Amino acid sequence: MTATIDNHWYPVAMISGIQAPRETLLLGKKITVGRERGTCWVKDASGNALPTVERFGHLWTSPGQPNRDLFTIPEADSPGRRLVDVGSVKVKCSPLRAVENFLDIAHFPFVHTDILGAEPHTEVDRYDVKIREEVDEVWATKVKFFQPQAAKSAEGGITTEYMYRVPAPTCSVLYKTCPPRPGEWDVITLFVQPLTDEWCEVWPWMALYDDDSTMSEMVSFQQLIFMQDRSILENQLPRKLPLDPGMEVPTQADMTSVAYRRWLKKIGYTYGAQLVAA
Amino acid sequence: MNWVAVALTEDVPPGVVIPSRIEDTDLAIWCTPSGRYHAWSDRCPHRGMRLSHGFVRGDTLACIYHGWQYNEEGACDYIPAHPKLTPPDTICVPTYTCTEAGGVIWVSLNKTDSALPALGGRKPVRSLPINLSANDLAAHFGAEDYTTIAVVSDHDVLIAVQPCTDNACMAHVLASPDKDRTTVSRWLEDLRATLEGMPS
Ligand code: FES
Ligand SMILES: [Fe+2]
Repeated sequence: MTATIDNHWYPVAMISGIQAPRETLLLGKKITVGRERGTCWVKDASGNALPTVERFGHLWTSPGQPNRDLFTIPEADSPGRRLVDVGSVKVKCSPLRAVENFLDIAHFPFVHTDILGAEPHTEVDRYDVKIREEVDEVWATKVKFFQPQAAKSAEGGITTEYMYRVPAPTCSVLYKTCPPRPGEWDVITLFVQPLTDEWCEVWPWMALYDDDSTMSEMVSFQQLIFMQDRSILENQLPRKLPLDPGMEVPTQADMTSVAYRRWLKKIGYTYGAQLVAA
Repeated sequence: MNWVAVALTEDVPPGVVIPSRIEDTDLAIWCTPSGRYHAWSDRCPHRGMRLSHGFVRGDTLACIYHGWQYNEEGACDYIPAHPKLTPPDTICVPTYTCTEAGGVIWVSLNKTDSALPALGGRKPVRSLPINLSANDLAAHFGAEDYTTIAVVSDHDVLIAVQPCTDNACMAHVLASPDKDRTTVSRWLEDLRATLEGMPS
């Protein structure tokens, strides 16, 4: 495994869910996660302690030597938001496929029918995408889409505006129009733990303005969405994400995915990627 | 390899798509509303989704992921994210030769001139998966070519064998119209139990 891949931070547990020590996989290697006297720890297979960070309700670790701090989400700190630990879903696909699906809006009418999208509102208008060199992140902005029920708190259809951010190869942050508070953004994230290069554990987390829904309503809404996505992710061929053009055919609606693939290639992040057309 | 039975027509009614496979080739088998059968590569060129999870809409097969529609030639003719765009000809799904005869859907992965297997007027009874390679099943009946095997037995049954993986095949079974389907079906299940129980 190259340092390029080892030196990132990866989510490995939801802090509120850590009880007895638990074995899991990170990048195909066994690790153990536990908590003693309020402090979380992670050990590799030989029992060596790995570095940890506790942030966004999750425990993060790295098998290498991270050369930068785990990213932050300043918007999520503003008062009045409810922080929602959604739990986790294991998916038989490349961690990169899971992130790419999260960046995609064109599937809403077909996969999340009558919730996040509905025919005939299928058109994806041009939006802006760029790799922000100064922070080395992928950003898509001015993404607009018509949604029948954009969130648990939404009543009736609205055109929702989105921003997508990829701050790390297996993480994505979505900023989304917030129905009860025009002008603010709801924050929904997808933190992906690469168990292996074709198997991942997805830890969604949300920081929402929603004073009406119960916690369990917000959790089940998001879980329903992820179950629908899983039925796609486990049936894409190949399981790995093709980084070289030629094997799959993008259109203008896929500009975020194209930028994501290009960025992965640029930074040399190849875990879960398919490099040559099969 | 020439014609391979991939399904019985009664299991793929008009407007339906199902997954199937011939050895390493994953297939989406579908039937138009007017009853024409197609066998395609089971992979959408857009983002690799299995087309067998899609849906038939008019005379097109639509992918479940982003709704791209493919006409009967396998060419993409509609991309919902860009309704005003005419998709370029280059976006198409690999298609295979596919036809229906005697209540069975036959596929040839290569261009072929060979005649379809003769079924001797037998009618389809059912398809049954068997955990045995197609060759092992054929060998059990002393046959070399596993695409169709006439089995002389009490039931005058013909088995068309579809090779799926190294240790699994699908047996499509046909019998004379005067045979009792339930009896033939039970015979087949017994046969499977015997074959799967045999050490290979
Ligand atoms: S993967 Fe088939 S339409 Fe996108
Ligand atoms: Fe989705």
